[in-house]
Amino acid sequence: MRATARVEAALARIAATDGRVNAFTAVLAERARARAQAVDARGLEGPLAGLPFAVKNLFDLAGLPTLAGSRIERTAAPARRDALLVRRLEAAGAVCVGALNMDEYAYGFTTENSHAGPTRNPHDLARIAGGSSGGSAAAVAAGQVPLTLGSDTNGSIRVPASLCGVFGLKPTFGRLPRTGTYPFVASLDHLGPLAQSVAALAAAYDAMQGPAADDPAQAPRAAEPTLAGIDHGSAGLRLGMLGGWFRQMALPAATAAVERCAQALGVTRVVDWPEVERARAAAFLITNAEGAALHLPDLRRRAHDFEPLSRARLRALVARPLPRRRAAARGVARAGAAPAPLVCAPGGGELRDGRRAAGPRHPVHRAADRHRMARHRWPAPVRPRQPGPADPARLLHRAAGGHRAAVGPRSGPAAAADRRPGHRRPLARGPVPARRPRARGPGARAGPRRASGMKGRR
Amino acid sequence: MDPRRLDDLLDAQCALLGLGLAAEHRPGVIRYLQLARDLAALVMDFPLEPADEPGTVFVPVTPRHRRVEDA
Repeated sequence: MRATARVEAALARIAATDGRVNAFTAVLAERARARAQAVDARGLEGPLAGLPFAVKNLFDLAGLPTLAGSRIERTAAPARRDALLVRRLEAAGAVCVGALNMDEYAYGFTTENSHAGPTRNPHDLARIAGGSSGGSAAAVAAGQVPLTLGSDTNGSIRVPASLCGVFGLKPTFGRLPRTGTYPFVASLDHLGPLAQSVAALAAAYDAMQGPAADDPAQAPRAAEPTLAGIDHGSAGLRLGMLGGWFRQMALPAATAAVERCAQALGVTRVVDWPEVERARAAAFLITNAEGAALHLPDLRRRAHDFEPLSRARLRALVARPLPRRRAAARGVARAGAAPAPLVCAPGGGELRDGRRAAGPRHPVHRAADRHRMARHRWPAPVRPRQPGPADPARLLHRAAGGHRAAVGPRSGPAAAADRRPGHRRPLARGPVPARRPRARGPGARAGPRRASGMKGRR
Repeated sequence: MDPRRLDDLLDAQCALLGLGLAAEHRPGVIRYLQLARDLAALVMDFPLEPADEPGTVFVPVTPRHRRVEDA
C-alpha cells in the first residue's frame, strides 16, 4: 500500500476514535501528507516505508513546543528540528502523524493528565491506559497507528504496553540516543518503540540504532540488527526465568502466566538477582534527586502550574537529604533477560477523573513498582497475552470476561457489531474531559528556547 | 525518625531553597518524604567502600542462575 493511503487511513482512524481515547495531543495532518507524498515519489522500500507512527510528546517535533505532558512547556519556544529518533525513522520511510499524551514530565503511571485530559484504555474506556507513555500504548491498541515511540525511566513503556495489550521494547540502557527529547532522570531514561507486531518493533529498533555523540549515556557499541533474526525462534538465545523477589512478590495469576511463557520457550534456568529490593529503593531515590533538581526553578516560580500529584512528589524530593544521591547510585549499580511479571492488578485500573489530586497512589502503582523498578537498565520486551488492536467485534465476544467494547465505529463486521442490540458505548457512561485545541501543523515560529529549556536534550 | 522531625526538615528545606508550600499541599509532601525516608534507610544500610563508584556506562553481565527444577 502506498504511503499516502496508509497515512490517510491513520488520520481517518484517529479522527474517528480519538475523541474517546484521547491518545493524541497534536495531529500533524499536513506534514504527514506532504512526507507521505515524498516517500511515494522516491519509491522507498523496506519494512518502515510509508508506515504511520506517532511519538510521546516529550520528543521534539519541529514547529511544536515539546510539552512533556506539562502546562508549563506550552509557552516554550517551538522545537527547531525533530528528535533524532524521529529523523531516523523518517529516513527509513516512516511518516510521523502526531504527538501523544503522557503523564506530566513522565512522572506517573496512569496518564491521567489534568492538562490534556486522561488517555483511556481502548479495550475499556473506563480504565487507565497506564503511563507515562499512555498515549503511545493506547494509540497502537486503538489501531490509530501501528507504531509509536515512548520513554521508560521506571516502567513507562513496560506498564502501558502491558495494560493496553501491545508489544513494547525498553532497550538496554544506552542503546538508543535520547537527543532531542525532554529528560526526566538522566541516569535511567530510555527511549523505545511500541507496536502492533514484533516485526514492526524490530524494524523500528534497527532503524533507530547507531551512535550519537551528543548523548553521553550512549554505549560504544555497533548497531546490532534484529529484524533478520526474529523468525529463528529461541534457538541460540540464553533464556532464564527471574526468581527470588520477582516470584515472592507476584500474584498467582502473574506467576502462572510467566510459567506458561517459560514453558513455551523451554526455559531451564532460574535467575536470581542480588539486592533487588535495595536496587528498587535506590532507583526511587535517584529519580527523586534528579527529577527534583531538574524542576526546582519551576517549583519556585510557578508551582501552581504543575500537576497536583507531581507537585507534591517533586516538593518532597527537593527536601530530601542530598548525600543519599551518591549512595543510591552505587546501590543501583550493584543490582543485576528473563521472563517476569510486570503488572497484575485484578479488578484495578479504573480512571479516577477529578479524584487524582486528593487521592493516594493509584493501585496500579503499587502493583507495578514491585517489579519494574528493580530492573533498571536491563532490556525489557513486553508481549501482550492476546495481540491485536481493540476491536469491538472481537471484544464483544469476550464480554463475559469483563471487557467492554470501546473503539469504533469501523466498517464491515465491526460496524455491524457496534450496532448490535445491547452493545454499550462506554463513553456514554461518563463525561469526556474537555480537550484543548489540536495543533494542525508545524508553525513558522522558531527561536531560542527559554532559559529553562536547558532541561531539554539538544 | 520522629515524624515531627520530617515537618521540621520540610520547613527548613523550604526556607533554604525559597520554596513556598501551601497548607493543603503539606500532607502530600510529608507522605512522600516518609516514603523516601524509609527507602533511603534501606539503601544506606548497604555496606559500601570509599572506592565503590557507579558505572557511567552500563554493561550487562551474565547473572547467577540455577535450574528450574531446583527453584
